[in-house]
Amino acid sequence: MSWLGKIRRVGPMVEPAPAAPEVTLPPPTGITGSLQLRHVDAGSCNGCELEISGAFSPVYDAERFGARLVASPRHADALLATGVVTHNMYQPLLNTLHALPEPRIVIAVGDCACNGGVFTKGYGVVGPVGDVVPVDVEVPGCPPTPQEIITALRKVTGR
Amino acid sequence: MTTAVLTSPIVPVPGPGPRTDGRLTGEATLSGGLTALIGALGLALGLSVVFGGARHLRIGWLLPLVGVSFDLDPLGGVFIAATGAVSIAVGIYAIGYAKREHWARFPMVTLPLFVTGMLLVPAAGSVTTFLLAWELMAGASLVLVLTEHRRDAVRSAGAFYAIMTQLGFVAILIALVVLSAAGGDTFSAIATHAADITPGTRTAVFVLTLLGFGSKAGLLPLHAWLPRAHPEAPSPVSALMSAAMVNMGIFGIIRIDLQLLGPGPHWWGLTLMIFGAISAVFGVLQASVATDLKQLLAYSTTENMGLVTLALGAAALLSSSGAPAVAAIAMTAALLHLLSHSAFKTLAFLGAGSVLSATGLRDLDKLGGLARRMPATTVLFGIGALGASGLPLGAGFASEWLLFQSLIHSPHGANTVLALAMPLSVGAVALTSGLGILAMVKAFGVGFLARPRSAGAEAAREAPASMLAGMTLAAAACMVFAVAPVLLGPTLAHVLAVLPTLGGSAEGPRLGTILRLPGVDGSISPGVIAGALIIAVLTSVILARWGVRHRPPAVVTPLWACGADALSSRMQYTATSFAEPLQRVFDDVLRPDTDVEVTHFAESQYLIEKVTYQTRLDDPVEQRFYVPVVRAVTAWAQYVRRAHNGSIHLYLSYGALGMLIVLLVAR
Repeated sequence: MSWLGKIRRVGPMVEPAPAAPEVTLPPPTGITGSLQLRHVDAGSCNGCELEISGAFSPVYDAERFGARLVASPRHADALLATGVVTHNMYQPLLNTLHALPEPRIVIAVGDCACNGGVFTKGYGVVGPVGDVVPVDVEVPGCPPTPQEIITALRKVTGR
Repeated sequence: MTTAVLTSPIVPVPGPGPRTDGRLTGEATLSGGLTALIGALGLALGLSVVFGGARHLRIGWLLPLVGVSFDLDPLGGVFIAATGAVSIAVGIYAIGYAKREHWARFPMVTLPLFVTGMLLVPAAGSVTTFLLAWELMAGASLVLVLTEHRRDAVRSAGAFYAIMTQLGFVAILIALVVLSAAGGDTFSAIATHAADITPGTRTAVFVLTLLGFGSKAGLLPLHAWLPRAHPEAPSPVSALMSAAMVNMGIFGIIRIDLQLLGPGPHWWGLTLMIFGAISAVFGVLQASVATDLKQLLAYSTTENMGLVTLALGAAALLSSSGAPAVAAIAMTAALLHLLSHSAFKTLAFLGAGSVLSATGLRDLDKLGGLARRMPATTVLFGIGALGASGLPLGAGFASEWLLFQSLIHSPHGANTVLALAMPLSVGAVALTSGLGILAMVKAFGVGFLARPRSAGAEAAREAPASMLAGMTLAAAACMVFAVAPVLLGPTLAHVLAVLPTLGGSAEGPRLGTILRLPGVDGSISPGVIAGALIIAVLTSVILARWGVRHRPPAVVTPLWACGADALSSRMQYTATSFAEPLQRVFDDVLRPDTDVEVTHFAESQYLIEKVTYQTRLDDPVEQRFYVPVVRAVTAWAQYVRRAHNGSIHLYLSYGALGMLIVLLVAR
């Protein structure tokens, strides 16, 4: 049973939780600590995706603050959009938003999603996420660190 | 069983919709009505024999030298009653079906004849009568299989069926001739002389009858006619063949091998169990991957007959191992499963017939969306599919439960054979039940629910009243098996009483409102389960209705298509894709022949113009066993052909030679 001993020796690996940020947006369903997220890559370079997967990894563990990634927008309270909106992803992004039950919020992660970033004048670009769907929370950074993403999520989950 | 995404061969079947001429509508009513009437008489006769005791009838003048003799006992009675009940439903259904499909006069005449033949087989009291009735049944069914003989597939299936059924008959003929040489012509004489028959003769008769009756019951490896003849025959005929005719194979095994010759040695029961288990597992595997609705049902028949044979074998083995109480449970399971199979398979084949006549399609990959277009047929087929899946509220539940109980509770102790055979059988039956659910979910879910996958399914219309009436009768029978097997209890007890070597000497399971098993711990109540489920469903519906008042009004949003614009019917599960994981798991058994062809654009091999996927599932048993046999027979036939050179002189000399031999021998 050496693995049990190893677990005991190593102890918890997760980063200690920093102090909770001030809640800026009430949770969409009114229940704190329960934010189901559907992620849509609207045209990202995948930098933000790496950081999001880092944020939900065991080290940063966003789920302990009540945020969770889900597979279907039907299960979600919020849309987590990354990247500048390209022509190809314009309609799917709208379809996904409409598939979310109300009340819902939209969280834009990364500079591209917030203001277009380095791709602003690209030929295949519609614009930042805010031009296509109403954005409630913005997480700046290219890419934002997992800690920044978690802080933004905690402002919604209230934990 | 060919499937292709881009180039799919459509099974050529009669198109939907009535053609305008209605010349034979009177004949259709007469034929169907007569079939139902004969069936009703059969049902009444069968029940009167089961409850009133045995009857004998001998008509000396009907057949030269031996006469025709009938010997009705509760065992034959229950088969007569089952055949009669199936015939009532099929007869009523056939009125509408024959009109809609414009049957010719010949099949209409043959249909009542076929039913009569089937009713005479269990009534036969002597070897001669039995063989005569058997041939009437086989011949009439062949004529009916060939109803739509203008299609190549039907002619090929008919030839296959004719050869297999006649080879089976030859095996039965030899076996019964050997038996009657040892014991006499009538079954009662054989029964009295049973003790004098030598073990060698017994073994020969057992092996030959197992081959002959096994091929009629669709047991492996002699099942190959079933998945060919059942889909190509008109659906009422498929229903009669699958729900009543295959029963005669089981009847033959019980009557000749287990009742007249029994109790046999240990290996008889073991052989039956092995054949039954292999048939059940193989049949259900093929049913799970089949894409043709009627072929799926045909393989499901092999599966269910396998289960019945397994239960028979278990009863024989347990009885000869000194466990008559458990043997009685196994025998009850066999009989109950046989009867419930008749009910749900009649319903399923009639439902498939309604679908076929409304859409012109049997291919599940092209069906779908029938729940909106044919609601009554959908509900009725659903009852049948539930029965076939062996779940609670389904017709097959009580019998499969009994079979499990008998296998689990077999007292083995020091008996190595039992200790090995029973757990393995439990595994086989469990695998069969699980895959059976998958096959039926596929048949119902892909075939009837979701959106139509072709124009034929889109244009479907509900079946006419007489077809629905026939199906409703079968559905009512299914419901009896599902929630009130108590009604079958007295019948099965009477049958069990005439089978002392199959557990009839012990007290059988009590099929009351609660099924109780004497001697083992086990009881269940399908009726109470059904009642509890209905109450639970009603409660949740009422609670949901009550809760709706406190919720905001519903919002209609577009369906979620993973970000794409709209859902199309091509995004749905098909029968092929539904069974694909299973096909992958059982790759070595099913041996699918998959062919993926990728066409690139001329400009670059990185751009794909189209992908053609084709998978073909041939019956592996057929490929392994039948092809070599057919090849060998063809090779031998080439030698024999040299003797037929067309010279009339040669033929005359053959005749003279034959005459000479006869004169010498008969001297």
